[in-house]
Amino acid sequence: MNRKNVFITGAAGGIGKALIKIFASNNYNIIAHCRKPDKEKEKYFDEIKKEFDIEIYPVYFDMTNYIAMKTALLNLFKEKKNIDVLVNNAGIAHGGLFAMTPVSKIKEVFEINLFSQMELTRLVLKIMTRKKSGSIVNISSIAGLDLAAGNSAYGVSKAALAAWTKTLAAEFTGSGIRINAVAPGLTDTRMAVLMEEKAKQEMISASAMNRLAKPEEIAQAVFFLTSDAASFINGQILRVDGGAK
Amino acid sequence: MNNLEKYTKVFTETFEIPEEEVQSLKYQDIKAWDSVGHMGLVAKLEEAFDIMMETDDIIDLSSFEKGKEILAKYDVEIK
Repeated sequence: MNRKNVFITGAAGGIGKALIKIFASNNYNIIAHCRKPDKEKEKYFDEIKKEFDIEIYPVYFDMTNYIAMKTALLNLFKEKKNIDVLVNNAGIAHGGLFAMTPVSKIKEVFEINLFSQMELTRLVLKIMTRKKSGSIVNISSIAGLDLAAGNSAYGVSKAALAAWTKTLAAEFTGSGIRINAVAPGLTDTRMAVLMEEKAKQEMISASAMNRLAKPEEIAQAVFFLTSDAASFINGQILRVDGGAK
Repeated sequence: MNNLEKYTKVFTETFEIPEEEVQSLKYQDIKAWDSVGHMGLVAKLEEAFDIMMETDDIIDLSSFEKGKEILAKYDVEIK
């Protein structure tokens, strides 16, 4: 069967796993990026493969190791593996007032949340450009749209990712490639567990639905944007946050 | 088809121009070789010769002749 392929970065995280599941259940083969191999991830991949009878092709590299990233992509390129969809999901969180956030930390967050996504997208676009079709979804954040206090690193990096989404979509107009972003509210993943309780409660109470997002709800929005149902949606940032109060 | 024929064909097909116009062609000499056309050219060269060009080389690809030098870096000899 001629299935489509989706490349998901940060595939081992909470949203990453939900992304794998929704694309697998829609008959996609998965190129699953993780930083390094481990038994638990491989077990999850095996379960999904069995449940949905699809292929999962794991690729391992640190998002900031551009040589390893390029080697992984070069292998896909040589194997003539098509990439129909790219989900730039990998990222790191950081909260803290500007006065308490060294610029070195801001650079580190930007390196992962923006520059590494740019490097990877540049490589993936080489494959999509050949086919003159594809869809890219960047995982931004409402923190990058609302830009509350404490967001000089994470929020500003996600704002930059959202801004880049728009400019990239404009540059690829007419190429058959659509580029959008999803901006999740605080989601029930490990990232939320690690968050300071006060900040977490503030984010939850700012949502009209007064709860965390489920990873599946974010994955469904991503899948929608990559699907033909969203064929005329391009350069958009979709909030998935339960609505503002 | 040898590499020179393949290389020339990429230019003639990408920019829809005859072979005799290709030899002296430079970036932005014709309307079709603008920044968007440039990316199309790079994609077709990569596909034709099964390579992945570095960003610096994509920027340096300023003419038909220069492209030959650049491809040599990827062990593609245009003769």
